[in-house]
Amino acid sequence: MWFFRSPRIVFGEDSLSFLSMVESKRFLIVTDRYLAGTKILEKVKKAIPPDSETMVFAKIGSEPLLSEMTSDMDSIYRFNPEVIIGLGGGSSMDAAKIIFALYEKPGLSAYDITPMDNFGFGSRSKLVAIPTTSGTGSECSWAAVFSDDREKRKNEVASPEILPDYAILDPDLVLDLPREQTVNTAVDAITHAVESYVSQWNNHYSDILAEKALSLITPNLSRVLSDPHDVAARESVHIGASMAGLSFSNSQIGLAHALGHALGACFNIPHGKTVGLYLPEVVRYNYNKAGVKYDRLNDLFPEKYRSKSLDITLKNYFKAIGQPLKIGEIPISDNDYKNKVPDMVELASQSTGVLTNPEESDSKSIESLVLSVI
Amino acid sequence: MAFLSTFMAKFPSDEWVKLYCEKLNSNQKYADAGKNWEGDIVFVVEKDETHPQDDHIYLDLYHGKCRSARYIHSGEEVPKSEFSYKGKFGNWKKLMDGQIDPIQGILTGKFKLDGSKMKIMRFTSAAKEMVNTASTVETEF
Repeated sequence: MWFFRSPRIVFGEDSLSFLSMVESKRFLIVTDRYLAGTKILEKVKKAIPPDSETMVFAKIGSEPLLSEMTSDMDSIYRFNPEVIIGLGGGSSMDAAKIIFALYEKPGLSAYDITPMDNFGFGSRSKLVAIPTTSGTGSECSWAAVFSDDREKRKNEVASPEILPDYAILDPDLVLDLPREQTVNTAVDAITHAVESYVSQWNNHYSDILAEKALSLITPNLSRVLSDPHDVAARESVHIGASMAGLSFSNSQIGLAHALGHALGACFNIPHGKTVGLYLPEVVRYNYNKAGVKYDRLNDLFPEKYRSKSLDITLKNYFKAIGQPLKIGEIPISDNDYKNKVPDMVELASQSTGVLTNPEESDSKSIESLVLSVI
Repeated sequence: MAFLSTFMAKFPSDEWVKLYCEKLNSNQKYADAGKNWEGDIVFVVEKDETHPQDDHIYLDLYHGKCRSARYIHSGEEVPKSEFSYKGKFGNWKKLMDGQIDPIQGILTGKFKLDGSKMKIMRFTSAAKEMVNTASTVETEF
C-alpha cells in the first residue's frame, strides 16, 4: 500500500488570478526579503480579493533559519489568517509550511513535524504555494527544509499535512528569474526527477512524472537560457519542475540530495548547485542497480549531449548550462572541503536519501562519493 | 555455527531473540549505520488471526551493538523503553519477508512508532539494517 498525493494545481498564463476566487477574509503572504517591494509581490497582493486583509511576512533569507521563520508568530496568531501563501523559492514555500504547521497547532515544535504523526492541520487555514523559481518542487511536496541556529545541519521535516492545498504555477512570475538562479533551480529539478525515478520507493505515478519532467526541462532549459523571455519555454520548465517535485514527493530522493544537503550545511551554497555537483557521481555509483531505468532517462536528454550512459550525459549537459562538476568550480578550495569531509559523511549518512537510494551505502562509500568531486 | 545456520527459530521466542542479537552484532553495516545510536526499543508483536497473543521483545542498542536483548514472557513486566515499534504479527512477517519497508510501514499505518520520530528519522539506515538482519534469521512463523 502506498499513496499518491498532490496539491490542486493551477497552471498557465494568468493562473495567479485564481487567488481572486479564493473566499477568505485574511491572507498571510510568507516571502523572502528579496521579493519585498518587487512587482511580483505587488502582483500577488493585487490578485487577492480587495475586500480581504493582507499581512506580509517578508523575512526569509536564502538558507532560512528556524528562528527567522518563526520570528513573528505572535503577530501571525493575532492576524488569524485563513489562507497562508508561500511566495518565492523553496525557502519561502518551506517557511510557509512551517509557519502553517505552527499556526495550526500552537505549541508544536518544528522538529516534531514528521510523517509518522497525525496533526489535524488545516482546520484554521489553507496553504497555497506560489513558486517564483522553477526547480525546488516545494509547491508540490510535503517536505520542508530549515537550518538550525545552534547546529550546522539542514533539517528535513516532512508530513503529508504540510502539502499545500493549492500550487499556482504562473509563468509570468519566473520570466525575470536571473540566469544563475534559473540554472541552479533547474538542476535541482533534474536531480529530483533522476533520483525519484530510481528511488527504492518509486512507483508508476512517480515514474511517469519524472519522465515527463525531464522531457519538458532538458530541451526547454537551453531555450530559456538563450531567451529568458521565451514564455512557452519558461512555462515548460516551470511545469516540468513541479512534476519533478510531485515525483520525488511521492517516491523520495537519493544520495545526491543526502550529499547536497550535507554540503549545503557546511558551506553556504545554493541547493541546486550542491545536488547537481554530486548527481553524475551518484548515478555512476548506482548504475549496476538502476542501469535499465537510467538508460531510459538518458534518451530524454537532447541528442547533442547524449552519451552511452546517463552519468556522462549529465556531465555534458551540466557543463553546457554552467553547473559545476568539481568542488573547485563552486568555488570551494580542496583544503577547505577536505576539512569538512568527516562532518559531511556524518550528515549525509543521517539523511533519508540514504534509505531510498537504489544502491546500498555506508560511511565508506559515502566518503568516496564526497571525495569524488575534488 | 553450523547449528545456528540450520536452526529454525520460532518468532517471537527466546531463541529467535538470541539469534537476532548475535546476527545484529556481527552485521558491519548495522554497526556503521547505528554507531551514534543510543537507546532501547521494544518490538511489540500484536495478536491477529494467526497469532493468539501480544508479544514483546526488548533490545538495548548502543553505538551499533546490541548490548542485551530478551523476549518478554507472558506475565512479565515489559521494560520501559525510549522507543516502541508496534505491529500485528502478520505485518511483522511481511516486514521480515521484505514486503513492507520499515519506514513505509509506519507511514501506511501497518506499524506504529512511539518515541522521538525526529531521532529515528536520522537513523533510518540503521532501522533498515535491523530489518535486513531479522530477515537473515532462519525463522519459523
